[in-house]
Amino acid sequence: MSSSVHGTFVSEKINKIRWRPDPFDNSHYFITGSVDNDVNHIKLWDFHENQEEDDIYPFLVSTFPYCGDVTEIQFLNADYFVTSSSSGSMAKIRLYENDIATVGEDGTINLLTAQSQNAVRTIANADSSSIHCVIFLKHNEILTSNLRGQMKVWDLRSSSDKPQSTFMLSGDQVTPTSLTYHPTQRHLIIAGDDLGALTTWDLRQNTYPVNVLNAHEGAISEVQFHSDYPDHLFSCSYSGEIWHWSAKTDAVPLIGIENNETNVWLTSDDVKSKLEVFTLMPTLGKPINTLDLNRNKVICGCDNEAIYLINGITI
Amino acid sequence: MSQLNEKSICENKPLTGTVSRPNRGKRGEITEDAELSEGEIRGVRVYVVIPNHLCRRAGIAATWIPIDQIAIFPYEKKHMKQKDCPSQFASQSVTSVFHLRHSVILFHPILRKLVNESFGVFVSLQNLSANKPIEHRLELLKLSRQYRSIIRACLENLQEEITNSVSDNADELKNYVTILYSIECIWHLCEILLIDVGPGNIILPYLLEWVRFHFPKYERNAATLFGGDLIGLESHPEFWDTIIGLLLQGRINIVRALLRQHSASDSNTFKLVDRVLRAMPVYDVTTGTPINEFIIQRQHWLIDVQAKIDAKLFVSDINLNMIMKLVVGDEETWAGIQRTRETWYEFLAGWLFFTEPTVKPFELGEFAKNSIEKMKMKNRLKQLDKAILAVLEYDLLQVINEIQSMTDNGWFVSHLTDLLYHSGRLSNLEQEISSFSAKNLRESFVLNYGITLMGHKSLWQIGLSYLDHCPNNGIHAIELLLPRIPLENEAKTKKIVYEAKQRNLNHIAQSVSKAQGVISMNHGRLGNALTWALRSQDGPFTSFLADKFLKEYIKSGTLVSSDILEHLGSWILASDRLIFLGKFYEFHKLYQDKDYRGAANILTSLLSSKIIPKYFWSVLLLDTIPLLESEELVFSSNDTFTIMHCVEEKENLPELKDKVEIIRLAAARNLSRALIFEAQLP
Repeated sequence: MSSSVHGTFVSEKINKIRWRPDPFDNSHYFITGSVDNDVNHIKLWDFHENQEEDDIYPFLVSTFPYCGDVTEIQFLNADYFVTSSSSGSMAKIRLYENDIATVGEDGTINLLTAQSQNAVRTIANADSSSIHCVIFLKHNEILTSNLRGQMKVWDLRSSSDKPQSTFMLSGDQVTPTSLTYHPTQRHLIIAGDDLGALTTWDLRQNTYPVNVLNAHEGAISEVQFHSDYPDHLFSCSYSGEIWHWSAKTDAVPLIGIENNETNVWLTSDDVKSKLEVFTLMPTLGKPINTLDLNRNKVICGCDNEAIYLINGITI
Repeated sequence: MSQLNEKSICENKPLTGTVSRPNRGKRGEITEDAELSEGEIRGVRVYVVIPNHLCRRAGIAATWIPIDQIAIFPYEKKHMKQKDCPSQFASQSVTSVFHLRHSVILFHPILRKLVNESFGVFVSLQNLSANKPIEHRLELLKLSRQYRSIIRACLENLQEEITNSVSDNADELKNYVTILYSIECIWHLCEILLIDVGPGNIILPYLLEWVRFHFPKYERNAATLFGGDLIGLESHPEFWDTIIGLLLQGRINIVRALLRQHSASDSNTFKLVDRVLRAMPVYDVTTGTPINEFIIQRQHWLIDVQAKIDAKLFVSDINLNMIMKLVVGDEETWAGIQRTRETWYEFLAGWLFFTEPTVKPFELGEFAKNSIEKMKMKNRLKQLDKAILAVLEYDLLQVINEIQSMTDNGWFVSHLTDLLYHSGRLSNLEQEISSFSAKNLRESFVLNYGITLMGHKSLWQIGLSYLDHCPNNGIHAIELLLPRIPLENEAKTKKIVYEAKQRNLNHIAQSVSKAQGVISMNHGRLGNALTWALRSQDGPFTSFLADKFLKEYIKSGTLVSSDILEHLGSWILASDRLIFLGKFYEFHKLYQDKDYRGAANILTSLLSSKIIPKYFWSVLLLDTIPLLESEELVFSSNDTFTIMHCVEEKENLPELKDKVEIIRLAAARNLSRALIFEAQLP
C-alpha cells in the first residue's frame, strides 16, 4: 500500500498534534496546539474521509484561545487531555495513568494527579539547568533530561530531592529533545537530540548507551514508537524530515530461537544494517515540530503553518 | 489618512481613552500599540496623530524597535545652552509609549495561508532553476498556475469568511478580495502573454479564455436561463444581454443554444442566423490549417454575411440584426454596445475576436489603446486597468511599476518578478536599458518581502528562506535581523540558533546563546546561564558567571547548582575562572566525601596555580586550617611550605586579619608532624 500525503494550511504554527484515542482504535479526531501566535489556540479537528472524493481534509470542530505557546498535549482518556503552556515555564508533561509529571525551564519537577488541583509533590530546583524532557519509567520512577544532556532518574517514593542516578547523553553538552520508551519493553529508552542523533539505552543493564544512530540533519523534535507495532519508530526533525524506521524483516527471526535478541534496537553493533528508513514526505526545509500515530496514519505539524496527514503507511 | 489602531495583546487590561489596551511596560510606563492602517505607501507622506496630551505639550521623539516598529514617546528637546535640570513635564504619573507599525495585510490569518502555501511554490521554482537552467517553460507554466490556484483558494476562503463573519470586519475582507482579485487577473494575463507563449504567435484564444475566466457572469446567467423555465426564455430581462456578453467572449455555441430556445426560433430569420453562426470560421491552431487559408475562408464568410445584412434579411428582429452587424465588425454597432460593457478589456477581446482573429501579440498594445479610446476611459483608468494595459503593451517595467504600488505588501510583485526573472523575460530588458539588472531588481523585491515576513512573530522562518534566495544581500539582512528576533523561551532560542548554524552564522548563534544566558541569569538561574554561556563560547561571560558562583559560595558557604559542575568534560576549558570553579568543586566534593588526602592535593595545586581570583584567597587559605589540623597527615612538608608562602604573601588581606595567626600556627604544627614523618621514611 502506498502512502498519500494531505496537507492543510492552518494559519498558525503547530507545536503539538495528538490523535484523540478511539475505542475502536480508528481515530479521526485530533487536537492541535499552536506556537508563536499573538493568541495561540487549541483546536479540535476531524479528518473527514470522503469515499467519493479522493481528498481528505480536516474539518475544524472547535477552537479555544490559549495563553502562551502550547508545549505539550497528552490525552488522559478519550474525553480528557492535559496541556502545558510556555506561560508557565516552558513546561513539558508526561502521564502515567492519572499521574502527571511536569518539568520546565525553572528546573522544577511537579507531580500532579488528574483528580486534584494542587501539586502532589514539588521538587524545587531539581536541576540547575532547564529540564527539557520527562518520561515515566515506572509508576514511581521518572527520567528527566536537561539542557546539558544530563539524564536523571528520580525515585518518586524517596523523600530526598536528589536524583537516584545521573548519566550523560554524550560528553558534548548535547540536549535531548525528545524521550520515548519501547511500548512493550519499557526499560528500552530512546532519546532524540539537538544534533539529530538517536541514542538508545537499556536501563536494565547500565547507563551507557547501547547504540547511537546519527539520523537527521537538524534537531529531532519528536520520536515515537508505534504502540501496536513496536518494531516501527517514527521521528521528525527541524530540518523538516519525517522518517519511518522499521526493522528489516529478514533481520527479525520469526521464532526467536536462534537469536534471543529479538529487539533490533538493542543490538549494539551495526544496528543501521538491520533497519530500514523511509522518508514519509518531501521536505520544505521548515522544522516539523510534532507527530502522532494511529494505525497506519501519521499526522504532523510543521513550521510552514501546515498540518499533514500521511495515510496508508506500510506497517 | 492614517489612524492609530488597536492591536490585540494577550493581556487583558481595560481600555483607557480612545486608543488601545495599555500594556504595562517594564519600567512602569504604559506601552500602547498602534498600527498604521494605510498599508504600503510609497512616496506619500503619512500623518499619524499621537493621541496623547503629554506628547502634544512636550514634543515627541521616536526610536526603532526591531524589526518593524517605531516607539514614540514624549520628549522635550533641550539646547546646549539650556540648564541641565529635570524637564518641566517630568512627573511621577504613568507615561505612554506608543508603538507604531505598518499594517501588513499578509498577517491576516487567511492571507497567512497564501504566504505559506506560495512559499512552497517559490521554493520549487528556485530549485527548478537551480537544477535545469534552460528549457523549463512547461514547468514554469505549472508553477505559475499553482500560484494562481493558491490565490483562487485564498479568495474562496475570504468569500466564505465574509458570508460567515459578523459585519465589523467584512469591509476589510472585501478590500482583500478586491486586491487579490486584481492580482489574479493580472497574473493570469501575464501567464498567457509572458510565460505560456502558444505556438504560432496565436494569442486570441487565450485572451478570450482570460476574459471568460474573469467575467463568468454571462456563463452563469446562461446556466440559470437553461436551468429555469425554458418556455418564453426571451422574456427574461437578462436574455439578450447574456447573448451579447457570450458573443463577445466568443462562446458561439452557447449563443446558438440560447437562440434556439427563443420562441421564434423556427422562423427563417432565426434559422438563418443559426446557419451563419455555425459557419463562422474560427481559427484553431491545433488543426494545422494554414493561416492564409483561414483568412480566405473568413473573407468569404464575411462577404456572405455582409451581403445578407445588406439584403435586410435580419431586420425583422432588431437584436438579431445587431448580432449580425457585430459579427462582421460594423463600427457603428460596436460603438453602440460599448457603453454597456463593464471594462475596456472585455470589449477589446470581443472586438479582436470578430475583426482581428489572427492578432499578433505585439499588436495588442495598439488595439488596447484603441479600445480605451473608444470607451473614453483614458482619464478614468484605475490601477488594474493601467497594469493590464502595460501587460498588453509588453512593457514589463511598467507592469512591475504598477503592481509594486498594490497594497498587498509586496507579495505579488516579488513572486511575479521572480517568476519572470526565471523565465528569462527580464534579462531581455537588460539589453534594451543600460544599467538595468534583472537580477538586482528581483532581489530587491524578494529581499523586501523577506524582511516584511521577518517582522512577524510566526512567519519569520518563511522570511528567512526568502532572504536565503537573495544572493547579494540576503545573508547580510539575516545577520542583522536574526539576532533581533525576541527570545521568548528556550524552544524559540534553539530554533533561532539552529537557523543561524544552518547558515554558518556561528557568531550569531553564539550571541543569541549568550543573550539567552543573560535572560537565565536575570531569572536567577545561574546554572542554566552557565550552560548557555558555554554554548556561546564567550570566555568573559563564562568567567563572569563562574565569579557569581564563587561569590555566592563566600556568602552562603554552599556551592549552588553544583550539578552543573559535573560532567563538564573539556567544556571546563572555556575560561580560567571556570577551571578554578571546577577544581574548587572537586575539592569540595572530596572533602565532603572525607577523602582528605585527595582534597589536600587539589588544594595545594590550586594554591600554587596562578588562577585564584583575588577575592577567593581568604576562602582557600581558611580551608587549609581543618586539613592542616586533621588527624591524618595530609600535607607534606613541601605542601606546607607552599601554604606558608601563600599566607605570608597574603597576610595583608583584610578578611584574614585575625586568621593569619591561626593559619601560621596550624601550618607550623603540620610542618613539624610532616617533617618527623618524612624523616622516618626510609
